[in-house]
Parts: sequence; C-alpha cells; structure tokens
Amino acid sequence: MSEVHINHVYKRFGDVTAVDDLSLLFKAGEFVSVLGPSGCGKTTLLRMLAGLETPSAGEISIGDKVVNDLPPGSRDIAMVFQTYALYPHMTVRGNIEYPLKKRRTPKAERAVKVKDAAELLQLEELLDRKPRQLSGGQQQRVALGRALVRDPAVFLLDEPLSNLDAKLRAHMRAELIQLHERIGKTMVYVTHDQLEAMTMSHRIAVLRFGVLQQFASPDEVYRKPANEFVAGFIGTPSMNFIAGEIDNSDGKLTFCGGGVALSVQAGLLPDGLIADGDKFLVKMGFRPEDIFIGDQGDDALVSVVEPTGHEVIVLIDLNGNEVVARVNPDVRLKAGDKVKLRFRPDKLHFFGTKEGIRLNV
Amino acid sequence: MSLKKKSRRVLFNLFAWSVIGLIAFPLIWMLVTSIKPQSELFLIPPTLLPSEITFEHYWRLIDETPFLTYMKNSIILALSTTAVVIVIATLGAHSLLRFSYPGRERLAQLVLFTYLLPSVVLIIPLYFLMIWIGLANSLISLVIAYTTFSLPYALWLLRSFMAAIPDDLESAALVDGATRMEAFIDVILPQALPGIISTALFTMILAWNEYLYALVLVNTDESRPLTTGVMSILITSFNIEWSLLMAASVMMSVPLIVAFVFLQKYLTRGFGAGAVKG
Repeated sequence: MSEVHINHVYKRFGDVTAVDDLSLLFKAGEFVSVLGPSGCGKTTLLRMLAGLETPSAGEISIGDKVVNDLPPGSRDIAMVFQTYALYPHMTVRGNIEYPLKKRRTPKAERAVKVKDAAELLQLEELLDRKPRQLSGGQQQRVALGRALVRDPAVFLLDEPLSNLDAKLRAHMRAELIQLHERIGKTMVYVTHDQLEAMTMSHRIAVLRFGVLQQFASPDEVYRKPANEFVAGFIGTPSMNFIAGEIDNSDGKLTFCGGGVALSVQAGLLPDGLIADGDKFLVKMGFRPEDIFIGDQGDDALVSVVEPTGHEVIVLIDLNGNEVVARVNPDVRLKAGDKVKLRFRPDKLHFFGTKEGIRLNV
Repeated sequence: MSLKKKSRRVLFNLFAWSVIGLIAFPLIWMLVTSIKPQSELFLIPPTLLPSEITFEHYWRLIDETPFLTYMKNSIILALSTTAVVIVIATLGAHSLLRFSYPGRERLAQLVLFTYLLPSVVLIIPLYFLMIWIGLANSLISLVIAYTTFSLPYALWLLRSFMAAIPDDLESAALVDGATRMEAFIDVILPQALPGIISTALFTMILAWNEYLYALVLVNTDESRPLTTGVMSILITSFNIEWSLLMAASVMMSVPLIVAFVFLQKYLTRGFGAGAVKG
C-alpha cells in the first residue's frame, strides 16, 4: 500500500501534448478513477505510472521513491489492460504464475500464491485452460489474478470492464469494489464510463485534453462541478445549460436568458461578484432532476418522451432551448403537451462564459 | 442431389485431377526413371511402369560421385542461412515495429528497396568482395550471399506477421517484471512462431534451390552445394547421365518434402497472417 505522487508531469508526442502539467496525489489505499473522454490523456497517464511511457517533464513517485527511471518491473505496480493481454500460449496457471517466475519466486511458494489468487477469484477449475477457452468475464478475472498474485503496492486498471457486456460489467464492478475492500491497496482506475467512476471510487480525477479539470469525491464532482465541462460530462442525461446574463439591481440578482427570468437565491453566488447595477454574462446549468413539471412556471412544450421504466426522460422545448427533465413515471406526458416548468432554486449552477469556470459559492 | 449438381461436381473433380496430374507428372516421371534399369531408359514407346525396379543409380551416385559431400554442403548451407536470416529478421522486425527512433520508417522502406534490386546485378560485386575478404570458394560466402537477398523479404514478412501481435502483450510482460529481451522471448516469439516457421521454410527453399550464386562464388568440390555439384558431375557437353540425374533429383527433393509434410500447417497459417487472432 503506497501513495502515488504525480508532480507537474507532462507528456508530449511530437506537437501533441497528451498530459499537460498534471499534479495529483493518490492516498495510500485509495481507489481513484481517472475519468475523461477518449483522447484526454488518461491512458497515457496510466502508462507513465506503469513505466511504459516516460514523462517529458515532471516527477512520479510511488511510496517515497521517485520512479521516473525505474523499469516497469521494478515499480511494485501491477496493471490490468483493457484487452486483458493474457498470454495466449500459456494456461491460466502459466499466466498467473508469470510475474512470480520473473521475480524468481521459489516453485513451492509460487504454487501456494497461484492457488490463493485462483481461490479468491474463483478460477480453481480453469487453471489448466488456455485463455481462448474462457469467457470474457473469466479472462477478466485471470487478468486480475495475474495482477493480484504479486501483491503489488499499487494496482493500475485500464478500462478493465469496457469489453464486457452490460450485465457482467455491473457484476464485475461489485466484485472489484469487494476486492478493493479486502486487499486495501491503492488502485488507479482509468475509465471513460462515469457510472464506473461514480460507483467505485473514493475520488475522481476528471481530465480533458490532458489537463486536470477536477479532483474530488464523486459526490462533489456531481454536486459542485468545477467547470462547465465537468458539469456536462458527469451525469446521464447530462446537465442542461441556458446562456444568459445576471444583473444586479439593488443587491437583487436576476438571471435572464432563453426566455426565462428568475431570481437567483441569496448566497448561491459569492457577494460582490457583480457590482450593483452591473450585468454579467453566464451559463446557467441545472440537472434533469432539478426541474419540475407542474401547473406553475415557464411555458414549455414536450417534444419527446422516453420512458425507461423507473423514470421518464422528457425532452422539452423551452423557448427554443432543448431541456431534458427526469420525471416520475406516474406523470403521464406525451409529445406535443403544453407544460409549465419550474427550477429548483438552490440547485442552479452558474458558469462563466469564457472558460466555463464555476461561479457558485 | 440433382443431376445438374452431380455433373458439375464430376466436371470440377475432373478438372482438379487434370491440374494435379499436370503438375505431378514430371515428378512421377523423375521417380520412375530413377528406378528403371539403364536398358529401359530410351525404349520407344516409353514404359510408364518399369519392368524391373532397381536402385543401382542411387548406389552409383553415392559410391562413385561426391554426391554426399554436396548433400552435406547443401544441408549446412540451408540450415545456417535460415538460422542467420531468422535471428536477424525476427529481431529486426521487432525493432521496426516496437521501438521508436528517427528514420525507422525510412529504414523499413530502404530494406524493401534492396529487395527490388535483381539479385543478378549483385553477383559480380559480391564475387569481388568475397575474394577481397578471403572468403571466396567457401560455404560462408554463399551463406552471406543468400542472406543478403532473402533477408529483406524475411524482414517484411515477419514484420507484417508480428504487427498482428497486440502491443499490450509485451507491455504486460514488462509490467510483470520481464526485461525487454525476456518479453521478446517469452511472449512475442511464441506468438510469432507460425510466421517464423513459414519465413524459415521460404528461406530454406531458396538456399536449397539456389544455382547462380553457387555457380559463380564456389568452384571446388569440397564447397559445392547440390545444385551446381550435380550439374558439374552429371551434365557435360557430350553426355547427360539421365538415370543418375533423376536419382539425384529424387534425393534432392526428399528433404524439402519432409520439411513440408511436418510444417505444412504452419505454412498455411502463415499465408493467413493477420487474420489469425491470438
């Protein structure tokens, strides 16, 4: 169990900067997800932690050792690849045993460790099979076994669930959480799937174009997104945005935009952000669950209704802005219905228009 | 089965067997001639099956000519050329695929370019080179010559083969604690095995059958391979020893046929390179 310290790390491939001045500290025993759209540099970051790529600048430490110049095998890390990367010509036993062989572990000890890992992951029956004779979920477990058996300080997981079908993915998610609780090692989990990041991690680092957007608990990332990108990226369906302006008359803040005028609750924005009598261009964001459809509020038109069973996703035309709402399935709506919308005043998010930085307190 | 379908099948089989017959006939004739008695050789009409089977031509070949020396030379030549080519080509292909250094793609193209050069134009320069470094008239000179023109093709063949091996496998081995060389030996080589075998077969056939370089670079019986050796003892301006020649041809074909029988499944896998998923 070790902490991982990433200190002003850069990675450039020619003219492309894949990781841009990244600094992060993962606590010992923490489960951290690195989340972002494809091409955001998350896999590059993981490969740098593993030693498969060299940082262009900056320092990476695992425990209290700077590992920049250490080869992958000497870093006390284990990695699970998106493709599992099982050695096709070796049996399951051969695969799990391989890292031990490379560490010159005595044969008897190897057998015990392979048995323990196989037991933990329910692979005992499969030890003599070749990887291609296994299902996706079983291959996944073998890849985990190969990582587990060495008892590394840090686990690196590169989208390990993305090749599984939805049902198995949910199952493996739960298994991974249990596994982490049992072994308590530092785990760095790279994913583009926010659901995985939200459900499994202690903290989430959101990356975009190689730049850190926010590093916080899932709850905070959801409730207090650091900027418009994080706000829009986290949450399904994603947050709604309406561009407009806030003006301050006699200390009363009012948002106007998209045909909507609403007063901004006191304490939501920092005092003195907008001088008296001044205006400020903003984007207002609100989650689909933070609007109500009822008999009061602004006029709107239902354009699409998508029932999912336990809830209904409704696309609503609000004066030309498309707004997504999440409503109770008991509310019977159909396309073309005229409705009235209300916003939850304490759940409004405001972002600056230039860099999309969060303005809320 | 309808009549139309049936007749189509018969026609297809007829066609297939005629093609096989066309290809196999010279080989069968070679085998038959090599076991015919000398007296039956020039009979008209020719006999398809010999009236009497004799191995005297084989014995004469082994007893009276340096055939076995040539055979030994050819075996040494084929095996050592293959070994040199395979070692350089696998490591080279791996380097061209997995390492990043300036000019890597250029280098790969340059290798292909050398393959485009007809090997005939290299004979005279290579001949002088061999004299200059004192290797003329030796088997080593032929190993070097054969390596120069089979290596580019071998390198490209293996490169396309090894490109199908996922990068992650090597990365996983490195993370698991292997050195680069260990990862290459433990993980990459077993995956590349079908490709290596088909490349090896290709090189071996080339070294076994090569004639022109052997003729120019080697002029002593001690170092002659089968191709030029058999030619020099059995074919003269005045006479061709047909029965001995056919016996020699049969014996020359046997090693390749044996190799093919054992390695055929790898060879066909080799032709489907890239389509094979690990």
